[in-house]
Order: sequence, then C-alpha cells, then structure tokens
Amino acid sequence: MARAVPASPFESPRESPPEDRDERGDSNSTGSGGSGSCSASLSGSSDDFEPEWLESVQKNGELFYLELSEDEEEVIFQDSSLDVPVVNHVRFCENEPEIIHGRSRKQNEHRLEKLTKILKNKNIVSKQSIKKKATGKCDVHASGPASILKNRSSQKMGVVVQQRYKDVCVYINPKRQSNAETGEQLKLLESLIGIAHQSPWRKAEKHRHSIESRSAEEEKIVVHGLIPGSSAIRSGEILIGDILLAVNDVDVNPENIERVLSCIPGPMQVKLTFETSVFELEGTSQRRCKPTQSSMNNLLKLLWKDHNNDPQFSIQSIPHIIMYLSLKLDSDTSKDEQEILYQYPISEASQKMKSVRGIFLTLCDILENVTGARIISSSMFLYEKLIHVAYWKESDKLLVIGLPAESVPLSQLRNMTADVVRTLIFMYGSLDSAFCQIENVSQMDHFFCLFFQQALQPARLHSNVNPGSPHYDACSALFFYNFPGVRWLSLPQEIKMEIDTALSDLEAADFAELSEDYYNMRRLYTILGSCLFYKGYLISNHLPKEDLTDIALYSRHYCLLPLAAEQRIGQLVIWREVFPQHHLQSCKTSYDGYREPKARYFLLMVGLKHFVLSVLLEAGGCSSKAIGNPGPDCIYVDQVKATILQLDGIDLSIDERLESPSAPLVSCVDWFLPSSRDSLAALPLFSKLQNTSNSRISPASKKMVFGDSTLRTHKTSPLWGSGRSDNVDDNPEGGRGNVNPYAAQSKSPGGFDRSSSLFKITKKKNILPGPFNLGSLKKNPSDMESELYNVMKLTSGPENTLFHYISLETMHGIFITPTHTEVAQLSGTIHPQLIKNFHRCCLSIRSIFQQTMLRENKKTASIRSLESKKANSGLHQVREHGVLFECSPDTWIDQKKPPPPIMYWVVGRLFLDPKPREFYVCFHDSVAEVAVELAFKLSFGLAL
Amino acid sequence: MWEEGEDSVILLCLTASSGVPLYCRSRGGSVKQQLPFSVIGSLNGVHMFGSNLDVMLTAACTENTRVVWKVFHNSITLIVLSSDEGTSDFSLGKLLENVFSAMVLVLGLEELVNTRNVERLKKDLKACYKLIDSFLEPSKCSADLTQCVECAVMPSRAILQECLEAFASAAESRFGSLLTGGHVLCATEQWWQLAAQEAMLLMWLVRTLPPHTSRDLPVYLPHGSPTVPHRFLTFQLVPGLEVVLLCGPSPSLQFLADELVKQFWQPLLDLLKASARASPRCLLPSTSLAPGILGVLLINQDQRKSLFTVQPHGTWAEGSEMPLKNRLCALRSFYALVISLYFPSEKSEGTTVPLQEEFQAGFSHHPQHCYVVSATHKAYAVQGRRHQLFLLLKPDVPTFALRSLATSTLQALTTEDSAI
Repeated sequence: MARAVPASPFESPRESPPEDRDERGDSNSTGSGGSGSCSASLSGSSDDFEPEWLESVQKNGELFYLELSEDEEEVIFQDSSLDVPVVNHVRFCENEPEIIHGRSRKQNEHRLEKLTKILKNKNIVSKQSIKKKATGKCDVHASGPASILKNRSSQKMGVVVQQRYKDVCVYINPKRQSNAETGEQLKLLESLIGIAHQSPWRKAEKHRHSIESRSAEEEKIVVHGLIPGSSAIRSGEILIGDILLAVNDVDVNPENIERVLSCIPGPMQVKLTFETSVFELEGTSQRRCKPTQSSMNNLLKLLWKDHNNDPQFSIQSIPHIIMYLSLKLDSDTSKDEQEILYQYPISEASQKMKSVRGIFLTLCDILENVTGARIISSSMFLYEKLIHVAYWKESDKLLVIGLPAESVPLSQLRNMTADVVRTLIFMYGSLDSAFCQIENVSQMDHFFCLFFQQALQPARLHSNVNPGSPHYDACSALFFYNFPGVRWLSLPQEIKMEIDTALSDLEAADFAELSEDYYNMRRLYTILGSCLFYKGYLISNHLPKEDLTDIALYSRHYCLLPLAAEQRIGQLVIWREVFPQHHLQSCKTSYDGYREPKARYFLLMVGLKHFVLSVLLEAGGCSSKAIGNPGPDCIYVDQVKATILQLDGIDLSIDERLESPSAPLVSCVDWFLPSSRDSLAALPLFSKLQNTSNSRISPASKKMVFGDSTLRTHKTSPLWGSGRSDNVDDNPEGGRGNVNPYAAQSKSPGGFDRSSSLFKITKKKNILPGPFNLGSLKKNPSDMESELYNVMKLTSGPENTLFHYISLETMHGIFITPTHTEVAQLSGTIHPQLIKNFHRCCLSIRSIFQQTMLRENKKTASIRSLESKKANSGLHQVREHGVLFECSPDTWIDQKKPPPPIMYWVVGRLFLDPKPREFYVCFHDSVAEVAVELAFKLSFGLAL
Repeated sequence: MWEEGEDSVILLCLTASSGVPLYCRSRGGSVKQQLPFSVIGSLNGVHMFGSNLDVMLTAACTENTRVVWKVFHNSITLIVLSSDEGTSDFSLGKLLENVFSAMVLVLGLEELVNTRNVERLKKDLKACYKLIDSFLEPSKCSADLTQCVECAVMPSRAILQECLEAFASAAESRFGSLLTGGHVLCATEQWWQLAAQEAMLLMWLVRTLPPHTSRDLPVYLPHGSPTVPHRFLTFQLVPGLEVVLLCGPSPSLQFLADELVKQFWQPLLDLLKASARASPRCLLPSTSLAPGILGVLLINQDQRKSLFTVQPHGTWAEGSEMPLKNRLCALRSFYALVISLYFPSEKSEGTTVPLQEEFQAGFSHHPQHCYVVSATHKAYAVQGRRHQLFLLLKPDVPTFALRSLATSTLQALTTEDSAI
C-alpha cells in the first residue's frame, strides 16, 4: 500500500525546486552577498550566484545536497552512461541569458523561471513536470523539438524511430576553458563540448521567422568535426554528421546554442540529444544500454539512486525485514493489513517474514505478560537459515528487525536495532512520527535500504577506493556500525589549538552577520556546539557526548564519513530539524538552577573536500523562535563553510599525521612467518621466544623481557605523574608475598618478582589519579601528547608484537585505532584476515562486556532500592576476556613441512572506573604477559 | 506472575500434532508456578502457527527470561522458560535434548511417537518426572551440559577394571560399569561404545532413583535401541558405590544378586570402601594441582569422557574462596560460553542444520585458548589436540600466570593417567 507513493529518493539534488519555499531564507541569502564570496569561490560556481543547494531545499526545510568534486565526477561520468544519476544542478534559462550578469536581487524571479534540472528519475511525475516546463517556458520552440521529447518519454515508439535519436552524456566544465578566447561567441560549442560546427552564413541571415520550419537544413547544428581531446570525442558516441537537437532536453539551434551553453554554471554532466543519419547505431545503442562496468562507487550509487531499480544489489534473496507494527487492533477500519504501519523491503524472502508477523505480535504480548519484561529478540528458521529478530517496543507499537544470523550475530543485531531507533528518534523525534507520516515513507525506504546494505553487504559499500586497505574497511564496517564512538585522531597540539580556535570562533557567533548587532534583531540560532571530521576521523569535538553520538550515528548511517575519506565531496550541505534526546529529555527533568530551554534543534552539516563540520543549532531559548519549517540559512551555511576554509591549510599537516606511523606502532603478522626469518634471526632473543611459544618461556629470556619492560615503565613513567614511578620501588615486598605460590610454577622467581611488582602497579592504577581523571577530552591536550609520540612501541622486546588495537572511550564517545594508512602500509597476506578475526572477536567480547554493564546497572539500581542482592551476582561480572588464535599461512612454499602456526591473542578489557572504557588489543603470542599489562596501562595515554 | 529474585525454570511438554499438554514441570518440582493454560496454549500456538508456514521458531528472549522451543520426531514439543541468569541458549538446548532422551529412556520412542492414547501417555510419563526434574535443578555436575561421562580417577583402577570385566562376562553382559557418586570409576570396553548421551543418562538415572541394594529396570537406549528395551541392573556393593549392567533376558536379578556379586566383589570389599570414600575429588591423590585452581573440567573429545570437580583440593572448607554452588555455576557458564562462541562443538550426526547460531564459523583462524576475568573468579580454557580443559581459578591468580598454569595442568592431568 505504501508503494503507491513514488519512491522519490529524498536526496534532493534531483528534486524540483519547491516554489513555495519561505522567503525569509532568501532575504538572508541576498544579504550575504559579501560573505558569500568565499563560499562561491570554493563551490565552484561563479560569484554572486545563489548557493547551488538552495533549490534542493525541500518543503519541510530539509536539505541533503551532495556534490562531487570535479575530478571524481569526471571519472565517474566518463565510465558510466545514461543510468548515472546527474548530480549537479543546472539551470537553463535561454530567455534570460543575462542571469549570469544579473545582480542577486533579481534572482528570486529568475529562479522560478529555471527551465530544467536534470532528472533521471524513471518516475513519471517528474518527467511530466519537466516536459510541461520545457514546453511551457520555451514558447519559441514549442512545436519543433517537442517531438523529441515525446519520443523519449513514450517508450512504446518504434525501434527505428528510437534509434534515430540518441542521447549522449558528456561531462563539461566551463572553468576549464576560461582561458580560451571568449570574444568569439560560437567558441563555446567547440571549447565546452568539442563539437565543430561551421555555418559561415549564419550571421548574415536572419532566421527569426523560420525557427519552426524543420525542413531548413541550415537551421540545425550539424556536427562537422570533433575537437581532439574534448568531451565529445572522449564519449565516442558523437559522430560527424549527427545533428544536435537538444541540450538537457532544451531544444537548441545555431541561434540559441551559445546562450544555452553559457548558462552552464559549473562542472556538470550534460545530456546531448542528437539526430543521427546513420543506422549502424544499433550496436552502439546496445552497448550503451547494457549495464556499464562503472567504477562508480557503490556507496554513491546507494546514496543517490533508487535502490529498487538496481539489479546489482542482490540482497533481495536474503531474508531480511523491518516492520513497524501496531499492537492495537482497530476492527472498525477496513484497511488491509492495518496492523502494519511500515514495512521494508518488499521481496519474496521478506514476504515470508511478513506473513508470520502474528508470531511477533503474540510473542511480544505473551512474554511480557508472563515474565513482566519486554521482549528483546527471537530466532527462527526460514529457508534453512537461522534468522534473528530483534524487537523494540514503544507504547503500543512494535518495531521488528529481522536479519540472518550468518550476517549479523544476535548481540550485534540488538545493538543495531537500538542504534536505528536512536537515529530515527534523533531525526524525527519519535518512532511514530518517523513511520506513521505518509510523506516520510520514501525517506524511510531509503533509510532502511542503507541499513540493510550496511548490514548484509558491508563490503560492497567500502570497495576499491583505497587500494591498500579495502579489507580493513569492509571487515570493520559491521563492527563499527554500532560502536558507541567515533574514530578519533589525536593531533599535535598546535594544530589542535588552531582547529579549536576556529570552531570556538564559529560557535561564539559574534561577528559579521551572525552577531545580533548586524541586523539589530535576535539571532536565528544559537550554536550549541560543533564537531569536525577529517577523512572520517573526528579531529575536534565541542559537543556533549550524547549529541556527538547522535550526530555520529546519523553520519555513519548515511555513510558520510567514508565518503569524506575518499576525496569525493565537492560540497555537502545537510540541514534538518533534529531531536537530540539529550536536550529534549532534560527539558522535562529540570535541575535546580538550570533548565533546558523549550527550543527546537537543527543540524547543519557542511562538507568540503575531506572536511565535514557538523553544527548543532538551537532555535528558541535565547535566539528567536523557529516558525514553520525553516530551511537552511545561508549565513550559517556560509559561516560554517568559511570556518572549514579557514582550516584549509591544515589538512596537509593532518595528512602528515595520518601518514606517519603513530604511537603506538603496530606490526604486520606476516613478518612473523619464518620466511622473513632473516630479520628475526638477527635477534636472538626473539627467536628464542618464538621457539618456546608453545611451552613456557625460558627463565632467562623471561627475565630479560621483564627487565626490559620494567625499564620501559620507568621510561614512560613521566606519563603517569611522579607518584607512579615511586610505586615501583614501594611495592616489592607486597609483590613477593603475593606471588610466592606461583613461584614454583614459574621457576623464575627473579623475573616474577619484578613482574608482580608491575602487576601491583596495574592494580593500583585505578586508585591513582590518571591523566583521565585530571582533564577532559578537549581541554587538556597538555604536554603528555608530545611525549606519547615518542613512545613508539607498546610491547617490550626487540620486536614489536602489537598487531592491532581499539581503545573505546565510552565517556567521550570516541575510539582510537590504527589509521587506514597505517594498516595499508602493513599489507601482508594474513594480516587482513587477522584484522577481520580481531573485529569478529571484539564483537563477542563486547557482547559479554555489555552484559556485564547491564548487570552492573541493575545492581546499582537494586542497591538503591535496598533490595537484597543475589549471592552470585558477581559471577558474571566479566572484566577481561581474551582468546588465543592460531593461524597458518594459506600459501606455503615449502611443501615438505607443514606451515608453522602463528599464535596471537585478542584481548579485551573493560574498565568501569571512573567511567566505562573498553580496550581491545591484538598481539603476538610471544609477548610477555607483563607487557600486556603495560599495554593496557598505556591505553590511558592513547586517548587525549 | 514471575516471582522476583528466584531463578525459575519451567518446562512444558505437549503433543506436537494436537497441542495437548502432557506435563508441566518447574524447578523444585512443585506446581506453584504452574502457568495458566492460556499461556501454555499460546506459547505452543505461536510455534505451531510458524511451522505451518515453514517458519520454525526456535528461541526468544526477554530482558529476564529465555524461551526455547524444540520439536522431537514431529510428535513431542518441548518448551522451556528460564529466568536463570547463568543460562544460555546453548544450555537450554542441551536441557531439552536431555529431557527428551530421558523420556525415550523410560518409555521408548514408539510410545512417544505413535501416541494412540494421550491420557495413557500422560500417566506413563509420570514415571519420568523424577528424572526430568533432576535436569531442571541447578546441576551438581557437568555431564548434562557436556554430554560426556564423568569419570573419577582411582589409584587401584586396574584391579577394579579386571574384576568388573570378569563380573560382566559372567553375567552375560558386555556393558558394565562401576559408579560412585555419579562418576564412573571404571567400565568395560563396550560401555564406552554406548553413545555418550546414553551412558550419561544411565548414570543420571541411577543417581535420581531412591537408594536400593539392587534394581532391575527396563530401559530404551535413545540412540542404540530406542524401541527395544534392555534390562538395566544395578547392585549396591558398598554405600555410595554401585555396579551397573545392561543385559538381555537372562540371567535373573536374583541369581546375580545372590551369587555373582558376592563371588566377584566380596574379595575387594576393602578397596571398594576406600574408593567410595574418596569420591568428591575425582583425582589421584598424587596429582596436586596449583592452589589457585577452584574447579577443573577436562574433556576427552574422542572418548567423550570428562573429569569434573570443583573441589580439587579435597573437601571444601567453610570460609574458603567461593561457595561450591557458585563454582559450579561459574564453571558451567564458562563452558557454555566458550563452546558456543569459540571452540568447535562436537558434530552431532543426525541434524544437518545447526539450531544455534554458529558464531565460530565467522572466524578465519582457530581459537586455541580463552580466558575470562570476572569480579569473583578467573577462568581459562585450552583446546588441545584431543582434550579440552576448562579451569576455574581464584581471582588473585595473576592473569599472566593463567596460561602456563593451564598448560601445565593439562599436561599433568593427561600424561599421568591414561584413563582420561
């Protein structure tokens, strides 16, 4: 039933401009002419143009505008043909070509007269609207080329006729030819597209009367030649002798072609319609029709395209479903399937799950009655596959998400469901308003299309761009999808300072048009805070953790962060009203002295190149109240853009930081294969360690390792403040007493003495004020940071045995892990497997930790209510969990001997004090256990 | 309806075709938590509705309760609801398997599958209640979870073994075993050829029966002979020590009890008494484990034998680390965790489709060791070539010492004694 609504994707570049947009934004945009210069120069449009995204603003004020950078666009468009969505906007206005020179004051009128935007939607509504506009506005050419449009729109026309016309898409960039002589008018056709057309008598004759007579040969733009290296020749489909009929469905003739072409504001794709006299076209058109092997990123495709038309995503056969069901039965309404408020997707496999929705409803009801607790999940077999179903009950509605167990383990599915709910609430305020409003249906379809793509085919979305690390992304994608944090990149202090200053300036909003004095009126929005991403890494955050998590979930869901990581953003502007629960809920529970204002919140995200800057705005409170559905305000967009521009130079140093091996160093597991024995053989200690990896480490080597690590503690002790290093000396007595029982086992009392003292330290660590207790994330970069960079290696011994790590700071909502470049540099054949394994193992470890935290919360709750605690409640309080893996190389040259196994640990540790924090490491088997303790200790230094 | 704070387990049994409830048991064996029929009916109905549409519901989970459904031979549906904190889908699945096997053991498969008279079946099933209830109780051993026979190691095992072989052959039986407190002291060669679950169930049966000097019961072996009953004979040799046999129609119980038992076991009376006393430790007196070890579970994967104890240092004294109940619970849940997440579980022959999520299938490399550090204890698991070792340790054992401790324990337990 929901299908009746055309699945018009909400990513509005392709949407027609809303005519009834509220005018307040416009008046601002005209006012921003001065500051607009910086934005204009960046976005690539000619100066004084209104922002390109303005047309994409939807009626409810929302905006999702994404534009690729030029290089990327050209690459994509060269390889793909018609089925590529056109990204850029173009406004053709042949009646008023002077729009280019026109002042911004006039734009409002002109905007309404814009003729076309290219819509590749298959949906009829938009097509008709184009047609109507085309015929309506270009009254001069109404009759002639209308036939072309008719041909194109009615698919049932004869094949022969179809073949006489062909559409060729070329990518053109008006800026490229800016150096070319502009004096000659006709040059545009040659310089832009590369078509040479000679009409020596064109100027002499006046043809005003004969536009409609199609018989006149000289009226047509015949391709007389192609300019080498031009877009036309590169397309390979434009032949000499073809007649150019239309550009983007606007009819052209020698008269108006230059004016039409001159209206192209920036780099974009243009569709040229030719009439061809040659009939050998069949082959060409066939070739064109088959799905091209485009290098276009699947991610982009997904963001832009209507998924249903795309045969490439073959997840239809995998049973998966999302349903929003009503538990209240209204027998009066005669609607079919009235208990289904929303459902996605419609496929045969999911149809089956839909048909058993009675199970979900009944289970939800019964189990709640019997056990007094809400249902979380259920499992079932369907088509020989185990399917997990996660539930989310809210008042009398039930959200159900089902996914196959082989793709998503149950613990993961629960997290994903919770995240989906959180994101939807952030975007729409409540699940009801997300699902139950008919205008949201297409947005929801897109939302869950993205969701299922990420859940079922994470590898597809993160393909091929980074040659070294595709695997890294693919295997970690699922794991990170619901990681309660954002990938953090710690930067040198001076850069950090610069960024923070820029963001603070923006947030202060006390200059230029942002200040209240400028217009002498209340400002529209208060900036609550902002966070800056670079290539998908969070580099600065001025938001509370809850808000940061909300924004991170949103951008992760829409794949914005990986997008930014790949030099793809020409310009990204997102604007929408959001409902941050952090603010809205504390509205209700007012603390004494402070109450959150009754306000509305807006999210503004602006992306340029690798930067994405998210700003959370508040309307109401001390700023003026928002009325209706305000669209993005140009001033704010421009200022945010300007802030990014201000940081433009910084990306070099950030890149440098990304490239340079950071602390702590990681190494590649392949280096530990004996094939690279030459490097290891030189290190006697290490080879010894490796030989004894299965049994115990020999006392001598153990001693050395311990000695080394003790040394290291001393070295790094400045990190922990002066109190820490004293501890090493204070504790030997206690340490010895503690460890004596095991001395018999270890047979190396000396070594263990030291180790036990170290162990003591780690145990004490929680009591001592760590750097974390002292300062918060952003305010205290301090000098520890620079010192940390000097600690290049976490593990002891001559070889670095740390393979991978993740440090999750739940308190700050961030995590730290080796960068993509770091992983890419390691390469190796087994290493990608190892990382994949590591992430999978982290999943299980994390699910155990989550249970622990759940119980912890329950316990504190029960203590508060003075209930008797159960005797065995401590049994399941897991603090640390480790798994030792064995792997052997797949390709082994020496056939006589079996490949030697490599053993490595994956260990996760949960810290509850002072705030929940998780740390996961992966290291080689040969690491002395004490060094592991050290590694965990250093996890405190990782996050700053 | 649910009693707060109490771990409750409720087991429902219904006929799969008609949905008639056969019985409802709950932890403690009482009916105080009897579910109303409407709930039983809907729990079964949900499952039945799904199976009509080729959707097989297997499990559900609320914030405090797990529910698992399972249908056996298209005739019996078992449903279990558990609010035990330490439980998992893995352990509940095993529980249902055990319960059904127990029903087969007592009644035979024929009667369960081809039910002609439901009322009679209900009456007959009463005979299994004791056995079934024992599975619902918090377990004192691990055999129900591991499906392995628990063994006890004795210094004088060779003598007992010899005597047992002679006794069994005199009784015209190839399946004989000597049991003490739920552990196998020794058994004939053929006894180990029984399916591990059968051997486990027979021992379980002996444990749940009221003490008698001798018994003669008909049993159906769930895997070996589910339709033809065998005679299961038990004789108490000394208190706490029993010899059991699986025989055909002859010889008579009378003959065995009067003649053979005296003839074979009388000379070893002192040894038997000594063996019966040493039971809770299950280890050789010479084997000394590290003081930090609180519990051991060693599994021989080939022979499906296990060694299980939570009192590795002799009798448990008041005031020492962790009450026994907690040790049991911790070790059992650690085993369930490791088996369901990391170590390859035993391949069950019949079922091709795994009923639980196979998490380990996602790993590209093989997990070998695993440990957990929790607030009250530490636990370590080793996957050897033939053995799996699960250790429960005191929390003050340093984490870095766990691995060497575990490997040396495995070595000590496997080399010193060939029984395991």
